[in-house]
Amino acid sequence: MDRGYLGFAARRVGQALVVVLLAYVVTFVVISVLPGDPVTNTLRNPENGFTEADVARIVAYYGLDQPVLVQLWESLSRFATGDLGVSLRSNLPVSQTIGDVLGSTAVLAAAALAVAVALAVLIAFGTQYLPVRAQGVLRALPSLFLSVPNFVIGLVLIHVFALQLGLFRVIYPDSAWATSFAALALGIPVSAQLAEVLTAGLDHESRQEYASVARSRGLGRTRLLLRHLLRPSSLPVVTVLALTVGELLGGALITETIFGRTGIGSLVESSVTTQDLPVLQAVVSLAAVVFVVVNLVADLVHPLLDPRVRKPPTRPSAEREVLAQEVSTP
Amino acid sequence: MSGTVTAVRAAAPAPGRRGPRRRGAALPPPTVVLSLIVLAVVVAWSLAPGLFTGQDPVAGVTSQKLLGPSAAHWFGTDHLGRDVFARVVHGTASSVSSALVAVVIGVVVGGAVGLLAGFLGGLVDVVLARVVDVLLAIPSFLLAVIVVSSLGFRTINAAVATGVSAVAVFARVMRSEVIRTRRSVFVEASFLQGGSRTHVLLRHVLPNASRTVLALAVLQFGLSILVIAGLAFLGYGDPPPASDWGLLVSAGKDYPTAPWLVYAPAAVTIATVLSVNRTSRWLRGTG
Amino acid sequence: MSTDNTSRRTVLTALGAVAAAAPLAACGGAASGSGAGEGAQAGGDVVFLIDSLGDTWIPNNSAISSFQGNVWGHVTDKLVHVDADGQVSPWIAERWEQNADATEFTLHLKSGVTFSDGTALDAEAVVANLDHWARGRPEAGINPIGLFPKTYAAASAADATTVVVEFDAPTLGFIPTLGYHGSILVSPATIALSAEQQADLSQDIGSGPYVVRSWKEGDNVVLARREDYAWGPQALGRTGPATLDSITYKIVKESSLRTATLQSGQADVAYNATPQELASLQEAGLEVAVPRYLGFAHGYRLNASVAPFQDVRVRQAFQHAIDREEILSTVYTPDWQAAQSFLQSNVPEATDHSAEFAFDAALAGRLLDQAGWVPGADGKRAKDGQPLAVTLYPNPYLVTSQAIDELVAQQLGAVGFTVDLQLYDVVTYGERVTGNKTLSNYEVTRSFIDVGTVASILTSANGGEDWFGLGEGDETLNQLRDAVAGAVDLDTRAAAVDQLQQHVLEQGLYVPLEQIVQRIYAQTARLKGVTYNGVAYANYYTAHLDG
Repeated sequence: MDRGYLGFAARRVGQALVVVLLAYVVTFVVISVLPGDPVTNTLRNPENGFTEADVARIVAYYGLDQPVLVQLWESLSRFATGDLGVSLRSNLPVSQTIGDVLGSTAVLAAAALAVAVALAVLIAFGTQYLPVRAQGVLRALPSLFLSVPNFVIGLVLIHVFALQLGLFRVIYPDSAWATSFAALALGIPVSAQLAEVLTAGLDHESRQEYASVARSRGLGRTRLLLRHLLRPSSLPVVTVLALTVGELLGGALITETIFGRTGIGSLVESSVTTQDLPVLQAVVSLAAVVFVVVNLVADLVHPLLDPRVRKPPTRPSAEREVLAQEVSTP
Repeated sequence: MSGTVTAVRAAAPAPGRRGPRRRGAALPPPTVVLSLIVLAVVVAWSLAPGLFTGQDPVAGVTSQKLLGPSAAHWFGTDHLGRDVFARVVHGTASSVSSALVAVVIGVVVGGAVGLLAGFLGGLVDVVLARVVDVLLAIPSFLLAVIVVSSLGFRTINAAVATGVSAVAVFARVMRSEVIRTRRSVFVEASFLQGGSRTHVLLRHVLPNASRTVLALAVLQFGLSILVIAGLAFLGYGDPPPASDWGLLVSAGKDYPTAPWLVYAPAAVTIATVLSVNRTSRWLRGTG
Repeated sequence: MSTDNTSRRTVLTALGAVAAAAPLAACGGAASGSGAGEGAQAGGDVVFLIDSLGDTWIPNNSAISSFQGNVWGHVTDKLVHVDADGQVSPWIAERWEQNADATEFTLHLKSGVTFSDGTALDAEAVVANLDHWARGRPEAGINPIGLFPKTYAAASAADATTVVVEFDAPTLGFIPTLGYHGSILVSPATIALSAEQQADLSQDIGSGPYVVRSWKEGDNVVLARREDYAWGPQALGRTGPATLDSITYKIVKESSLRTATLQSGQADVAYNATPQELASLQEAGLEVAVPRYLGFAHGYRLNASVAPFQDVRVRQAFQHAIDREEILSTVYTPDWQAAQSFLQSNVPEATDHSAEFAFDAALAGRLLDQAGWVPGADGKRAKDGQPLAVTLYPNPYLVTSQAIDELVAQQLGAVGFTVDLQLYDVVTYGERVTGNKTLSNYEVTRSFIDVGTVASILTSANGGEDWFGLGEGDETLNQLRDAVAGAVDLDTRAAAVDQLQQHVLEQGLYVPLEQIVQRIYAQTARLKGVTYNGVAYANYYTAHLDG
């Protein structure tokens, strides 16, 4: 490890921490813009019959009587020590609440990612094998996948496979079948971008001189694809994959709701309706951490895949972006 | 919902290989013609819904509830006996205009941020870059959900939230375009000839950068329709009897025995977004 | 990756358990005889689909919830039992006495009752619960029970089974309140826990016929029968352990999915089906229960301090312009009952005053004429250039509210009102509508267990809710309020409540619509012996599954 690399890594980690901290603050600010909080609203409901003194003491317990800036400061100092606070809705520690549902969402996201990569590879490889005239349909698929709302995919899958064919039970959404279909609903839109990028990469590489040379020497299509074209083409795929992870979390919001799964997405949904600030802050920060870590990993993997990039880039995201733009346009 | 970041990235124009050749041809490809027809119909529906359906989108005949598609009711009827086709047509204006609002917010705010960061550079660039980093790190749909929950569950707020979640992408792209243009020969020449900063900005930087940004805006329009529909699906849109496409799908899912309540508005949404994407691809000269 | 593997294993295990449980349920059901008696052989697992399990599990903060209340009713006991007709009968309290002015009550407890952690449910435990209901620990985030009598002074244990409770003023409603869904007995150890610990359902210990076997936040709660249970309420005709082995409360948010799953036989009960779904469910051979709670009939309370309702004639016109028959036949099934007063008719003190709000559009028109509201060309009335306008705010806690309000808007429109509907979600409704004294009306959906509650909310006296915006301005209302609140025997109070109903309806202060059913149960016909208490919760203590 040379000193330049360590400096680069330290700077990236520092930037990452700032981003996560700011994500925490941004959520606080967005939710606190409007006056009113869920606790006071519920307590003030005259049907509860609480006295004003009781209400004041309960509000004080949640720290909601403090000025907003004090609340932000206290919330931040807690966050800095790793304490995510307590849910305003369930009164359970936020870390426990998130820990309980994280596994389910991780399984779903991993399965959806697998679906997306598998579909992308199928489509991209298909375009390399099929005759040009037959490629049209395959090349149009990513565009179609990008145009279908993922809740529609989910509803259709449930309607056909759960209600009509009875393949899985909607009340046991964690079963293997139900999880596969949820992963399909979540993975299909994601596969579109991967397929586009991978197809473009393969198209590009197969037109390179070395490919023609290899072909003229009688190298089989499959060997050419796997041994020569795939590695350079997968470079932008890694980039897009890293950027996609956050979107999986966003999509999980809808997919989990439709399939009745208990996960991060359904947690956000119930927290949004009750304005459960500590939970929302924690989820957003978690998403930011995932995004930052995955992109950090992508940055570090980049030089390994691309022999042209020897030095760690100074502004990695910008360079990757240009790269993605260049390669991703079919 | 997924893919604001990556899709827009993928949309950035690059020296097209097949594009110019295609555009040089007399007629656009048949799929583009079809897309333009679809978009024309959608625009017409939103401007004059009454011309396309004589039925009331709000008041229904309860004795005719949950009828399947027929000649009288192309898209069937819903649980209150309302004509679904009429509801789809009358919901077009709101669905389309809210997506427009989202795009305008994304372009204007994101564009301004990117322009400032790219043109001024220095400390401004550093600070704005961090802000954009944060917005990019939050999944756009999650960000939209949180913003709309703060603003209140209305379609217009969902549109604003969708716009906010697209700000970062536009800022990014605008910034890199501005920097590229600034460094180009003719802009440096303009500076050398004594052009003021404002002059250079308005005369050279903005027109050059805006070409890219506008191409992205078209794509973002399609995405916004999907995002707003997703928010409406979760119940973060206007209350009934509003009939935005996402609201229709969301309400229709409660009647599994009447699948047309889901399929009809969903098909219209897909056709519209598909046409927008196809058209934007053609406009960019990449297919 | 290890987490993935673990959760997948858990999933598979859970599936196995479900698969194994299904045949058991069938056997248990087949073996059990008819009737709800103690003879029915133990067994059976009930799956109960519910739209939500609410927010927190802190007992004081969640017991009155329409959702968590279903679970609490099985995990905990109460001091007295109140049935669907408001009849109070002994439960953990075997008997009780009160002094002449209803300020001191003595409760005599059953002996041998234990919480599921083995500690005794004795007089000390009851005192701890009474104090906790009345005061909570607000500074620690634990609410008091909202509707517990504010006149509570102190409770003390005379001996292991005798509790003496004192009040600052006559509190005739005390004993019925002990059967209220908020008054659930939990172990003193639970009471001593922090809010965060109480929010963990597995740490909340009750003495009921079921214990929590497992629970997953936002997903499900599984209850298992407590084998040594022996203190059921005598009114239910059973004291020993329950019949059903387990009850699984499973969250399924979509109403259509709940009923579809019920119809497919994968579940036994679906909660909160919409009235429109009920007919088809009944045709499919399922049973529907629409228990009424003790409380107010569904209706509007009008604010007499806000235009246009300052004028009693406008309120009366509103009262008579509504065709309640049309509402019942359009929105509901024949299972719903017409209102007879502003109280549900199962409240023991409720009397029939339906003549005061009979539908009579002509009378409504005359009243508005007299009040000076003149119809314009479009039939809408106005006075001094002001339109006769009313905005209705459908209550998000009642699924049929919006449909009803749309119908009411049409009916009021027919006599010249200009009516708008303003829809809000639950949170916004809480912010903008609930407790907002500037609105002209509020749509009431509210239960109570003792009619004494009514006295404390009608006017502004003693921190009352001032329901009608009259403050202390209506002398008759004030007198009747004091007569109800201060009554020391039930007959005197019943007479005062009768007059109160007459006065409020005649003045057009409360506009009843129909007798409310807020908890709708659709269930398999195999499920027998279910009881419903005074707050309309289903109780499966005496239930069993037939073959």
